[in-house]
Amino acid sequence: MGNWLYALLQAIVNGLLTGALYALIGMGMALIFGVMRIVNFAHGAFLMMGMYTTYVLFQATGISPYYQFPVAGVLLFFVGYATYMGLLRRIRGQVDFMVILLTMGLALILVDGAQLVFGADYHQINIPLLSKNIRIGSQISINAPWLVSFALAMALAGALYWVVTRTMFGRAARAIAQNPYAAPLMGINVHQVQAIAFGIGSAAAGVAGALLLPVFYLFPEVGNQFKLKSFVMVVLGGMGSIQGAAIAGLVLGIVENLTSLYWGNEWALAVDFVLFILVLSLKPSGIFGSQRA
Amino acid sequence: MRKWQVLIAAVFLFAALFVPLLVPTDYTLQILFRVFLFAALGLAWNLVGGYAGQLSLGHAAYFGVGAYGLALFSKLGISPWVSVLLAVVVAMICAAAIGSVSFRLRGPYFVLCTIAFAEVLRLVAKNLTNVTGGDVGVQVPLLFTHSPIRSFYWSGVLLTAMAFILTVWIERSRFGYYLMAIREDQDTALSVGVNATRSKLWALLISAAITGLGGALYASMFLFIVPDQVLAMDISTEIAIVAMLGGAGTLLGPLVGSVVLESAAEIFKNVFKEAHLLIYGVLIVVVVLFMPDGIVGTCIRKLSLLKKPPAAPIGTPVLASTEKEPQHLAINE
Repeated sequence: MGNWLYALLQAIVNGLLTGALYALIGMGMALIFGVMRIVNFAHGAFLMMGMYTTYVLFQATGISPYYQFPVAGVLLFFVGYATYMGLLRRIRGQVDFMVILLTMGLALILVDGAQLVFGADYHQINIPLLSKNIRIGSQISINAPWLVSFALAMALAGALYWVVTRTMFGRAARAIAQNPYAAPLMGINVHQVQAIAFGIGSAAAGVAGALLLPVFYLFPEVGNQFKLKSFVMVVLGGMGSIQGAAIAGLVLGIVENLTSLYWGNEWALAVDFVLFILVLSLKPSGIFGSQRA
Repeated sequence: MRKWQVLIAAVFLFAALFVPLLVPTDYTLQILFRVFLFAALGLAWNLVGGYAGQLSLGHAAYFGVGAYGLALFSKLGISPWVSVLLAVVVAMICAAAIGSVSFRLRGPYFVLCTIAFAEVLRLVAKNLTNVTGGDVGVQVPLLFTHSPIRSFYWSGVLLTAMAFILTVWIERSRFGYYLMAIREDQDTALSVGVNATRSKLWALLISAAITGLGGALYASMFLFIVPDQVLAMDISTEIAIVAMLGGAGTLLGPLVGSVVLESAAEIFKNVFKEAHLLIYGVLIVVVVLFMPDGIVGTCIRKLSLLKKPPAAPIGTPVLASTEKEPQHLAINE
C-alpha cells in the first residue's frame, strides 16, 4: 500500500475525531436554529464559556475535563435558559435580523467580558493523557484525548437525539416548531419549552467546549469559527433535522481534513462556506436529513 | 417630516464642510472622517437593508473589494483614481454575482449567505498570498497628496452627501416604491408585477458601488491593508448597526446612527480601554430591545402620533388626510 492511502485514511480518521465535536455543537444549534428558528449568533460565545469554565475548574482543582465537563453543561444550560427568558422572549415574532443583532450583541458582551477577565492570551491545558498515542496498524495513529473526546461527544450526541425524538419534552419542542399556534392549544407552555430547548442547545455547545479544551487551545474569540460552522452544519443537515446536523458535523470534519491534506489547512474554512452557499442555493432542504421537524 | 429630514441633513452636511477650518488636530479629523465614511456606508446599506428589507451582513465584501481593488490595480501601474473607478466596477460585479445567488433566499438564509460570501472573499484574500500579500498586507497609494487628512475628510463628507442625495431621489422614484413594496410583502409585490429580482439587484449594485468607493477611501487613508481589517465581519456588522441604530428605512437614520455610534465608540475607547466592544454589545442589545425602529424611526413615530387628530368615533366616515402618510418604518417580512 502506498503512502497516499495511509495519508488519506489518517485524514479521514482525524476528520471523524473532529467531526464528533462538530456534531455535538451542530446538534445544539440544530435544536436552537433548526427546530426553534432562533438565529443564535451567541452559540460560539457559549462554547467559549464552556471552555473557560472547564479551564478555571481544572486550574483550581486539577480534575480532568473528562470528569468535570457536566459542570460546564449545567452552567450553560442556565445561561441559555436565562438568555431565552430574559432577552429572546421579548422579541419573539420580530424579524430574524433583530434576533441576529441581539445574539450578536450578547456574544460581543460575553467575548469581551472574557477578554477583560482572562486577557487575550492563548491557553492550553496539560493532562497526562495528552502524551498517549494509539496506533492502528503501522501508519495511522490517534491521540488518546481526541479519542476520549470523540467517544464522549458521540455518547452525548446520542443522548441529545434521544431527548429530542423520544421524550415528551422533545415532542413538545417539535410540536411548537411545526405549529406555534396549535401547540399552546394542546397545553404546551411554549416559552417554558423553548427556554429549556434553548438551554439544552447551549449546554451542548458548553459541553463541546469542555471536551474541546484538552485537544485545542483557548482564547476569548475561539467560538467565532465554530459559530459559523454550526450554521453550516444545520443547513447541510437539513433544517430541523437533529441527526442531519450530526451527520453533517462528521462529514464537515472529514471534508476539512481532506482539504487540509490536499490544498492546505488555510483553505479548510473557505471550503466550508463554499459548501454552505452551494447547498443553500442548489438543495436548500439539506443533504443529510429528509425529516423536517 | 421628510422635508425636515432633508433640511437637517443638508444643513448638517453643509456645516460639516467648514469643520476643518475650525478643528486643528488631524486626530479629530480622522475620527470625523470615520463618522462620515460610516454614514455613507450606512446610507448605502439602507438602500438594500432599509428600503428593500434585504438585511445583508456581508457588505464587507464590497468594502474590501473596493479597498483591494485600489491597491491591486495601482500595483499594476494604473493611476490611483482610475484604479478607484475599476475597483468600484469590480465591487459591482461582485454584487451582481452575490446578489444573484443570495436574493433567491429569504430571512435568515439570506443573511447567512451574505456572511458566507464575505467570509469566502476574506479567506481568498488571506490565502492568495502572491496576489494580495495575504496576512502581510498590501500597500495602498495615497489618493490626495495635498493636505491629505483634510482632503479625506472632505471626500468623506462628499461621499455621504452623494449617498444621501441618491437615497432622497430613489425614495421618491418608482424604483424606490418597488423596493418598499418588496420589503412589505414580496409575494404581493410580485403578484402586482414588480420585478423583485431585478429591483433588489439594482439596489444592491448601487449600494455596492458606494460601499466600494468607501472601502477605497478607507484603504487609501490607512495606506496599508490586511484581509482581517477590510474584509472582516466586523465591518459588515458595523455598517448594519449604524443603519439600524439610526433607523433602517429612514433618510436621516444612517447619518444619526453613525454620529452616535462612532462618537460613542470613541468615548468608550478612551474610558474603558480594552473593553470598549463590551459597551458596543450592550448598546446593540439595548437598541434591539427598546428601540427596534432606531433613533430616527422612534422619533418620527412619536411625532406622527402627536400630529394625528384624535380618533373619530366608530361609524363616522374617515376623511382622507391632507397630511402625507408617514413612511413605513418597521421592517416587516
